[in-house]
Amino acid sequence: MGRRLESHSVSFAYVPESPVLADVDVGVTGGEVMGVIGPNGSGKSTLLRLLCGFLRPARGAVLLDGQPLSAIRSRERARILAFLPQTVTPAFALTAFEVVLLGRYPRLGPLGAPAGRDREIALRCMRETETDGLRYRDFGTLSGGERQRVLLASILAQEPDLLLLDEPTAALDINHQAGIFALLRGLARNGYGVVVVTHDLNVAGQFCDRLVLMSARARIVAQGTPRQVLTRDLLTEAYESPIVVTEHPITGTPLVWPEPASAGGAKP
Amino acid sequence: MRRRHGGIIAAGLIGVSLAAVFASIGVGSESISFAAAWRDWCAGRPLADAPELAILLQHRLPRTLAALLAGGGLALAGCVFQALLRNPLATPYTLGVASAGAFGAYAATVVMRSAGLALALWGFSAVQVCAFVFALLDVSLIYLMAVRRHHVSSSVLLLAGITLGMLSNAGMMLVRFLSDPGMLAMMERWLMGGVDVIGYEPVVTLAAGVLPCSAVLLLQAAKFDQLGFGAEVAQGRGVNVRRLQTTTFLLGSFLTAVIVSEVGPIGFVGLIVPHAVRSLTGSRHRLLMPLSFVAGGAFLCLCDIFARIVLPGETPIGIITAFLGGPFFLYLLLRRRFGDWET
Ligand SMILES: Nc1ncnc2c1ncn2[C@@H]1O[C@H](COP(=O)(O)OP(=O)(O)O)[C@@H](O)[C@H]1O
Ligand SMILES: [Mg+2]
Repeated sequence: MGRRLESHSVSFAYVPESPVLADVDVGVTGGEVMGVIGPNGSGKSTLLRLLCGFLRPARGAVLLDGQPLSAIRSRERARILAFLPQTVTPAFALTAFEVVLLGRYPRLGPLGAPAGRDREIALRCMRETETDGLRYRDFGTLSGGERQRVLLASILAQEPDLLLLDEPTAALDINHQAGIFALLRGLARNGYGVVVVTHDLNVAGQFCDRLVLMSARARIVAQGTPRQVLTRDLLTEAYESPIVVTEHPITGTPLVWPEPASAGGAKP
Repeated sequence: MRRRHGGIIAAGLIGVSLAAVFASIGVGSESISFAAAWRDWCAGRPLADAPELAILLQHRLPRTLAALLAGGGLALAGCVFQALLRNPLATPYTLGVASAGAFGAYAATVVMRSAGLALALWGFSAVQVCAFVFALLDVSLIYLMAVRRHHVSSSVLLLAGITLGMLSNAGMMLVRFLSDPGMLAMMERWLMGGVDVIGYEPVVTLAAGVLPCSAVLLLQAAKFDQLGFGAEVAQGRGVNVRRLQTTTFLLGSFLTAVIVSEVGPIGFVGLIVPHAVRSLTGSRHRLLMPLSFVAGGAFLCLCDIFARIVLPGETPIGIITAFLGGPFFLYLLLRRRFGDWET
């Protein structure tokens, strides 16, 4: 009985002249990892902000378990869905543990004073993301991969059911990227619903249950399993440049490459 | 990176502050005996017959209270603006609040004098009212900039504040240029600031402005920890960022405007005290904010003691805060302990 977060014909524009999303229907249920892919500026971050309730749709609605998200108090919402923005820039120096403990905020009393139990939960979340060894480190001095794991622990400390992550692996090497996605898979096995924006189509194809492919033309090109979405035609349409799709030699999942420029349109 | 225990830091700072308060009550141009004053108090003698008690109750105590309230409020406002704009330079002063208030006070003095008026509103002099109104005007402009336009960086707001401050200074110079020397001396003195209040009326005004605003701000402390990680993180944790910004901007400015209009534009407190405290507590706002209030009050008490004893006559306190605070702040900077800021 996982939670379900879905958008119903959601349209949105920051400025009326240029709509970012038009009639978008997406949904995520507890237990699955949904990847959001598409070219830069196609509205992936915007979609996430709408699903979090930070932005109000111009038309349509975002529903959490069938209830309009806008009707849920923000504190209550933060206990159900947790959001990790694309860029996190702390203004002050904090230890990794303090960063994770900050995630307890929506579960604390009005004064926001964490108790012993909150510290235990924070530590447990650090163990889940294998960062408990970093607890006394200055967050600012961590490597990119360590930072993302600590941030992941900090949103897990909210004890949410759904996670919405905006490019959590943008700055990571191939190994750390796979590490984070493996972690997300594990979380989904434990019942979390995960929405993750990424630019790495191959990793997305390997680790996500479903993909949503967005295009710069304010719409969703396709959604479905990686095999259904990561096809030459759909990707070429979304990215507006020729794309080649092959198969992963071990897993058999789709592998995606831009078509070499020299080959032009003369491919068979 | 380990943290010192919050309780120890708090106990230390509060101890030092209490010492400052007692010193502030005990020190002055007249040396008075607490024992004598206590006997007079117990005997229930009228103040006219008990000079030591009178000095204590009518001068030292209100003065100390005024310093505590003004210093605490200024430090807290500075702390809150730094957290709000995520910038170590942001204080109501760097946003031009004090200069605007000073300009208001100047203009009011001149207009009233030339017109031969002595207007007052609910017991506040027109000078105070004008200082207050101009200070709020300044910050309203900044606030409108911050809110009405998307993604205004804190550097832009600070530049806007500095510009408004310079405009106010230019306005002040114009007023000075146009007014006669007798008036000038009076205005100069106001500009240097002073907590040399007599009786409790100013203390009550300060308390009525400072205490409720501070209480509401202190209740938001945990939200500033969240905001330190960016508006979207805070929003994701359930903080209503827009409301927090509005409340803080308004309360912090109101607080500062009340203080400036009551004791003049005393500089530096809002900038250095939060930084000094932050170098002890780190950026845990539930610790940092109340301790900034305490330390700010103690700092102004200490400055006021200096003002009373260093030079014959009373040195304006604004000069003391700058001379004591400036070098100390430079020392903090040179030690590379810019509080806890990720800069
Ligand atoms: N705060 C904003 N104000 C105005 N336009 C914005 C804002 N944020 C994003 N946009 C515009 O909306 C479009 C989608 O942006 P975004 O959702 O960030 O795309 P993506 O995350 O897929 O790169 C872009 O054209 C971008 O310029
Ligand atoms: Mg984005």
